Amino acid sequence: MKRREFIRIGATALMSLPMISFSKDFRKEKPDAWTSKKLDDAIKKVYGDIKPTEKGVKLKTPEVANNGGQIPIKIKSKIPAKTVAVFQDVNPESLVAIFDVMEGQPVDYLIKIKMKKTGSVYVILEGTDGKFYSAKSSFKVALGGCEG
Amino acid sequence: MKIKAKQKGDIVKVKVLIKHPMLTYDQAKKKGTEANFITHVTAKANDKVVFDLSSSQFLSKNPLFRFSFVGAKKGDKLEVTYTDLKGNTKSSSKKIK
Repeated sequence: MKRREFIRIGATALMSLPMISFSKDFRKEKPDAWTSKKLDDAIKKVYGDIKPTEKGVKLKTPEVANNGGQIPIKIKSKIPAKTVAVFQDVNPESLVAIFDVMEGQPVDYLIKIKMKKTGSVYVILEGTDGKFYSAKSSFKVALGGCEG
Repeated sequence: MKIKAKQKGDIVKVKVLIKHPMLTYDQAKKKGTEANFITHVTAKANDKVVFDLSSSQFLSKNPLFRFSFVGAKKGDKLEVTYTDLKGNTKSSSKKIK
């Protein structure tokens, strides 16, 4: 069997395996995404060219973040998800975190983040249906959080 | 690491507090030291991964995480592991209440 043929068959065989839930380290999977400075570029590096619908994702942030170093971000959704990515548009790089959602697990998270100044947080949920959903929240940051 | 895990019906609600300086590149530069921050957090219950997060320098110092999951109950063990930029890894377990 020629090598190329062997690899082609191997790849097809792999594709027909049932989806096993391995958790991904997106720092390794998408290294470029973490150094993207701009929001649109970061989103592209994580998900490619997508057109998310702004619905189905509840994003809760304080109206005014008194401490820019400890901003609570709440994310909730009933949409069965594959991944949830969090971005913002004021720090040196845009991508904050990526949740790898295990099969059947709920999207109900709270994380605390740093933001340099007043700006917006964007959340994109990659549904198991192959579609993308988003939410955005803009708020004031009283004391910038990247320096301290 | 402080872990609190409580069963509420079908769901287990978890709160994790990790002690870590989460030094950004900018902060490290000012201090004349190397950046170091948590890059990955995983939680396992009954040998199954129930939570997984890849993260950046923009999570807060001594970060707090809250999440929920299904598939375990009171008495089961929850294990949380984190890895940071320098490759340090730390694990901690707690019984679900």
